[in-house]
Amino acid sequence: MNATSWRTTTSSIRQIRIEPDATMKTKLSPGLRRFVSFLGAALVPLAPAAPLGDTAVGTGTVLGNALNPGPDKSRAQDPEWPVAKHTPTGQMFKLPFAVPDVRKAASGWEYSGQVEVGYIGGDADEQSARFQMYQDIDETAYVNNFAFQLRKPESAYTVDLTGGGAGRHDQYYGLQVGRANDWKVKLFFSEIPHVFTDRYRTLWNGIGTSTLTLLPGMTPGGTTPTAADNAAVAAATAREPVTLGLTRKKSGVRLDLSPTQSWKVYASYSLENQKGARPFAAVWGNSGGTAPMEIAESIDYDTQEVLAGIQYTDGLNALNLRFAASIFENQIDTLTFQEPYRIAPAAGVTTVPAAGAYTQGRFDLTPSNDAYNFRAEYTRSMPDFHRGYLTAVVSAGKWRQDDNLIPYMITPNVAQANVTRLPGGNWDSVTALSRRTTDAVIDTRLADLTLSLNPTPALNLKAKARYYETDNNTDPFLSVNPNATYVDTDNTVAGNQSRGLTLDGVTGVWGRPLNDGSGQSILFGTNSNPAGNVAIKSKPYAAEQYRFNAMADYRLNKISSVNATLERDTVERRLRERDRTWDDRLKVGYVNRGLGDSMLRASYEVARRRGTDYVPSHYDEYFSPALVAIPATAGTNVSSWIRMNSGFRSLELADRNQHVVNGRFDTMLAKNLDVGVSGQLKNSNYPNSPSGLTRDDLRSVNLDLNYQPSPRQTIYGFYSHQFGRIRQAAIASGNGNAVIGQPSAFGVITPANAVEIGSAPGGPIFPLLNAWTAGSTDRNHVIGAGLKQDIGKAILNIDYSYTTGRTRIIYTYNVGGAVNAANAPFAGERMPDVATDVSYVDASLRFPLTERLSTRLVYRYQKESIRDWHYRNLDTTPVVLGGNGAAALPTALMLDAGPLNYRVNWYGVMLQLKL
Amino acid sequence: MKTSRPFTVLRVSIAAGIYATVALVAAVSTRPPGPTAQVDHGDAVYVGEAVCIACHKTQNNQFMHTQHAIAFRQNPKNQLQAQSCEACHGPGSNHLKDPANPANRTALIGFTREWGTPVEKQTSMCLACHQGSQAMFWPGSTHATQQLSCSDCHNPMAKISATGLLKKPTINETCYTCHQQQRGEFAKHSHMPLPEGKMSCADCHNPHGSPSKALLKADSINELCYTCHTEKRGPFLWEHAPVRDNCLNCHNAHGSNHDKLLTVARPFSCQQCHGNPGHQSTLYHAGNIIGGGAAVSSRVLGRTCQNCHVQVHGSNHPAGARFQR
Repeated sequence: MNATSWRTTTSSIRQIRIEPDATMKTKLSPGLRRFVSFLGAALVPLAPAAPLGDTAVGTGTVLGNALNPGPDKSRAQDPEWPVAKHTPTGQMFKLPFAVPDVRKAASGWEYSGQVEVGYIGGDADEQSARFQMYQDIDETAYVNNFAFQLRKPESAYTVDLTGGGAGRHDQYYGLQVGRANDWKVKLFFSEIPHVFTDRYRTLWNGIGTSTLTLLPGMTPGGTTPTAADNAAVAAATAREPVTLGLTRKKSGVRLDLSPTQSWKVYASYSLENQKGARPFAAVWGNSGGTAPMEIAESIDYDTQEVLAGIQYTDGLNALNLRFAASIFENQIDTLTFQEPYRIAPAAGVTTVPAAGAYTQGRFDLTPSNDAYNFRAEYTRSMPDFHRGYLTAVVSAGKWRQDDNLIPYMITPNVAQANVTRLPGGNWDSVTALSRRTTDAVIDTRLADLTLSLNPTPALNLKAKARYYETDNNTDPFLSVNPNATYVDTDNTVAGNQSRGLTLDGVTGVWGRPLNDGSGQSILFGTNSNPAGNVAIKSKPYAAEQYRFNAMADYRLNKISSVNATLERDTVERRLRERDRTWDDRLKVGYVNRGLGDSMLRASYEVARRRGTDYVPSHYDEYFSPALVAIPATAGTNVSSWIRMNSGFRSLELADRNQHVVNGRFDTMLAKNLDVGVSGQLKNSNYPNSPSGLTRDDLRSVNLDLNYQPSPRQTIYGFYSHQFGRIRQAAIASGNGNAVIGQPSAFGVITPANAVEIGSAPGGPIFPLLNAWTAGSTDRNHVIGAGLKQDIGKAILNIDYSYTTGRTRIIYTYNVGGAVNAANAPFAGERMPDVATDVSYVDASLRFPLTERLSTRLVYRYQKESIRDWHYRNLDTTPVVLGGNGAAALPTALMLDAGPLNYRVNWYGVMLQLKL
Repeated sequence: MKTSRPFTVLRVSIAAGIYATVALVAAVSTRPPGPTAQVDHGDAVYVGEAVCIACHKTQNNQFMHTQHAIAFRQNPKNQLQAQSCEACHGPGSNHLKDPANPANRTALIGFTREWGTPVEKQTSMCLACHQGSQAMFWPGSTHATQQLSCSDCHNPMAKISATGLLKKPTINETCYTCHQQQRGEFAKHSHMPLPEGKMSCADCHNPHGSPSKALLKADSINELCYTCHTEKRGPFLWEHAPVRDNCLNCHNAHGSNHDKLLTVARPFSCQQCHGNPGHQSTLYHAGNIIGGGAAVSSRVLGRTCQNCHVQVHGSNHPAGARFQR
């Protein structure tokens, strides 16, 4: 099976065909969407090019692949170039390559270029997902790279063509045509493969489409007994695994015009398609949480992007205006999958249909959406006013999607206990929804103002104010079936539930069925006491940010300076546990460029985040408590009204104290040898978080060495060490309940205090005995070295890198608390370490055969090993059985066996031809 | 509940349009002086590139293949560019008086540490042509405050890189000369495809300055991530609060030891926020792994929490409040 087997294999199991489907999205938004599509259709045929983006706008700033991550480095250096000089920081400039051989045609065009072709053999056909993740290397003939330049000095016309990996799934091409200083047109095409797994044991045909149908041998909806279903699934998983991955194919065109020295205009269009499949998962069965199984998500995305801008500058003023549009379309709107097990209606919850009727489920995959942004940036230089300048930025954007909603479930005729469906009220119909489309909109806005002054030649002062907002203007989706009423045979709870409950002008049965009819979360759905955890509304989160800072940069003398920044960053969030947080930050820095042949940069930063009151259980408006009061009858269990440990703090909202130290030292040990050392120390602690993230630390040390004694020899080396550690805490909920009228450590539980007591650490739900902590420590070492050496006329390049990563997760708990006594010996005190090791050696020997023809011998050794407890024993146990063995539904179907170690040795013989 | 807000997109757009118009009028009405370096060259005068090349032939052999050379020599936009070598190095007459004398280096602007021209002076020469546009936010930017010169990253004298006249063959290698920690992160097990030549640091960051922190090329981290991950943009029917808040709440943008660039292994990553009653607050341990001895839990296998809550970035399914569909 080759590297692109998810598309090219001929096996009936492996084959993943992309076929037209009735659910594919065809909806186009009006106006701009049509314009964008038209523009794209007009320009794409021009593709292939050079990079699309620049450093300020857009992605796509490079073209290359794993074999050609940059310009051909096997070229000779310029033997005439004087000794290497250093950058102002003290790092050696790389010695330039030998100048290209430029020929001149009779027409006046000058041209140069090179093409490299050859063959790669050895273990290059390695199929490990890790080896293939972002590259497409195989045992085959290669057009590895090519580059051509045309110049016409009389008219300043230039043409540049580049490319590589022809025909592979990591191929790239770029073409740039233009006149220097006047205009240029760039076109490009690039592919990026992304292989997720090569060990997926599919149970379905149809991967890549909107419908997954079970392979022969399994029955949709299962059979009896369950052991037979388990056996059929196990047999299916014994077949040869397949590869799941996707390929991004992106093409684009960009036009740059410089009509005058002050004005520039640019416009670009790109189209990216992502096609393939990735591991996904579906939970289903009984009460909605049984036997998750890894299905495969089909992916067929198109993204069109338009960027257009005007830039103006005149020495005093600078202005950038930019418009951006991004149109995303998912060509596979829903994913329907058959499930292979027999499940019965959830006892006391769902009354019909009969066991065996639940044959399939359906996802609403990520919706098509579009985004628009307009941005204006303006800078005014004020040379006569303390040599100051003023910068202002405003930006406004809109993200929106209006996908057609699908019904709550795909299974027909499902009846929920205590619910009567009126005509049109079937749960498998869109008439059971409160609305038919998403109609979701988020508006973004930015205003940013900066004033900089230099009151003295040595002092720079800067003040900045920033406002940024993501304003979600989506009407909350009401999770209600307006075409249903309650049966209401419950005499103990009289009242309006017999007609359905009313909120926001909508009357019906609130809540939703879960996972294709196998369960429900419906208020009064079991005709008993109301639950407090039934979601009835979606939450359109939104946030506003205000940031103010002041900075001073003072030059102590000709070689050193100090700087300080004081900042307050306030975020107001809508519908979160905390209305407002603010970060106060002070940063001081020191720069010295004149420590002999060295340079020092150092900074220290201290930050403190605090906020308004943290309300752990604040979502009542969006859950069933908005409709009904907490039960008051003594003896009623109201545990479902408890949604959170009140000592828990979300990491992005919690109080935080942070210290960051950065340092960097560059020195020239000799004229041709420089060394750089850098490090970071970052400590974050969360002082008021009894539970949640409590600490987050990072330390890193890095060393660089660069030695260029002559154009014939270059040596480099580097080393990095990183240490990261987080700590977190929680209290496992125990077997206790919050029962009205029962005593607790905080008093007798009443309707008024039930939520407070129930959510309190040490209360009946979260007993302190169940407290636990976990700490995750990442340790990484990276070492690398390389040599470029001329050997006579031959040029040798060797690069080596070794990366090792270890993650250790340790935990603490009370035996009999978070872990019971029986399991404690198995739990121990830590998870098995996650260990990853990656190493490679690249060698290339290039020697000329003739004036224009060279050969290059290439060798690569690459090794990667992974030990990850997430995938331990999944290769042998795809059907994970629970305590009742094969007679019961499995705990999970883990169909992705996880990453494999690999070790490859491949070689290549290349020919380089200069034009 | 549709909120009524006075700060509507329409109003902002109108305001932006007015702002832009005023700015343009102001710009044009100021009678722009044209590109000039804010550097006092004293009594020095231009001598012409032929004089320079007479001594600096090797440098010219490299320089002539650069974009600067083509533009300056074949289609200069103004008188400054037409000076070619002296457009950047300043008028050379004083340099000619005693070119070999190290004490005479102030007579010319150099872009190496050895030459010793103050960084501010070097930068001023570059900004004479490169102000605005991509470098709009250079003054006061992080790199400017760190006293970096343009020539700490660029080498306009030779075409070493495919684009950008960088000091190293690629953007990434150029950035790594200072940002070694990030190089280490990209070498980790889970990483963005920079080592594979499919991305560069400049896809996300503008080294020339940005009004956003970390020199981002977008107004926020999420807006930046959405430029490539458009399928995550939504908005969704059921939103996941920390996802909408900041992608970096869960992911490390450069690289990680864990799948999907997660900051911490699942399920512990999810449990940094989810301590609710039930399975969310349970301590999952080594015994729950297959063969671990205790009851196997699907919450520690494979993608753990996402075995059920697979639509963790948001769900558009009416029944997707728990991100299961």
